[in-house]
Amino acid sequence: MAGEIQSGMQCVEVEALLAEILDGSLHGATLTSFEAHQHSCAACRTMVEEAKAGMHWLKALDEAEPPRNLVHNILAQTIGALPSEHVPVKPRGEGWLERLKGRLAPMFAPIATPRFAMSFGMAFFSITMLLGIAGFHFADIRNWDLSSKGIRHTYYDTQARVMRYYENMRWVYQIESRVRDLRRAGTPDRSAQPQPQQQQPQQQEAPAPNPKNPSKSENRQPNRQRPNYSRDNGGPMLATFPAAMLAAIPQARQKGSQRTPSLSRLGSQNRRTA
Amino acid sequence: MDDTQAVNALVRRCVSGDAAAWQEIVQQYHRRIYNICYRFSGSADDASDLAQEVFIKMYRTLSTYDTTRASFMTWVTTVTRNLLVDHFRKGKYDRVTDSLDATPGDQEDGLTLADRLEDKGASPEARVRSQETQKLVHEALKRLSPELREAVILRDLQDLDYKDIAKVLNVPEGTVKSRINRGRTELARLLQRNYKQAN
Repeated sequence: MAGEIQSGMQCVEVEALLAEILDGSLHGATLTSFEAHQHSCAACRTMVEEAKAGMHWLKALDEAEPPRNLVHNILAQTIGALPSEHVPVKPRGEGWLERLKGRLAPMFAPIATPRFAMSFGMAFFSITMLLGIAGFHFADIRNWDLSSKGIRHTYYDTQARVMRYYENMRWVYQIESRVRDLRRAGTPDRSAQPQPQQQQPQQQEAPAPNPKNPSKSENRQPNRQRPNYSRDNGGPMLATFPAAMLAAIPQARQKGSQRTPSLSRLGSQNRRTA
Repeated sequence: MDDTQAVNALVRRCVSGDAAAWQEIVQQYHRRIYNICYRFSGSADDASDLAQEVFIKMYRTLSTYDTTRASFMTWVTTVTRNLLVDHFRKGKYDRVTDSLDATPGDQEDGLTLADRLEDKGASPEARVRSQETQKLVHEALKRLSPELREAVILRDLQDLDYKDIAKVLNVPEGTVKSRINRGRTELARLLQRNYKQAN
């Protein structure tokens, strides 16, 4: 029993000395009196045996093996570096290009992936295709004039090209001609009557084309004016009307709209007479 | 130069910003710290996380280490133990109170803990050598109270002397011895209770 005096040592003393007993650090008279007490006290004997068994269970446990990446993770979280044993040893005597590559490689590591390379390739292909469709050729770069005069010339040339392209678009001049028709319809008398009188002298002054022996300048003249005719949508045809026919138009309108020749019909008659 | 001076020089180099010195400290102590965490928490994953946290804490507070007060090993163990206690107080690693009659969750052969421990006359050392028995002892260790568990881990697994354990746990040496004895006895009782009942 605890506290009972047996063989010169109390149970409380055994309990206090239990650590030393199990460590084997008891010597001399203390060890002798402990052994005598243990022999006569079953409770202390059991206690010592249990503690001894527990100690043996624990000491026999193997050391747990840490994960392989533990050191790597610790260093990455503290100093943000790899262990030195994992750092590849660079061969001696390498040039500056290799050293530069070695330094740049970690910087570009996040984008040096197949996925990024594929996206970059697709973007490059698309841009090249669009430039090709737009008429841009990389071979023309060497012919570029990068002087201030050349740049200014290129600017105005490009502007003029854009303007020409815009004005020659079908829907643009269709809208323009429609707007012009609407304006003319709003003011019929002023636009119909004085116009032939103003334009007739011009027509008379213009030299008549010689079908037998046409010169170069004569051949070019109608070609250059052709877009203007189409844009004016009937204007120039009115310029060729004879004055007598134009004077008859208001009278015909008064008689009746069914028998009145339309402007387009008059234009075709005029073309036949010319 | 003895070990203590070498370690102190290493710590001084590390405090002055030498990354190689810190790397050497990590290489030297990671196994020990991981094992303390593993035996205390009972889980390998938790032990890995806790060991990393311990080293992060050490890295931040290394300049506060006083070489005159305790050895570096004692300081490292104190940092580890304090962090483990903090985690325990947060309720992460509560004491497992399963009965020895219960079948462990990962063992589906229907045998109880007492059945596994039952051995025909072999010594505890011989029995603990087997992998399965090691697991059983590890599980039984998790069932000890944190005070007893940390005391027996530091003494029987880490081989610290009573004086250093008293510094780490911040309790008198007599209390340390008492906790160690109680921890050993309770562990043996946990492992042998059902076996004795079976007999």
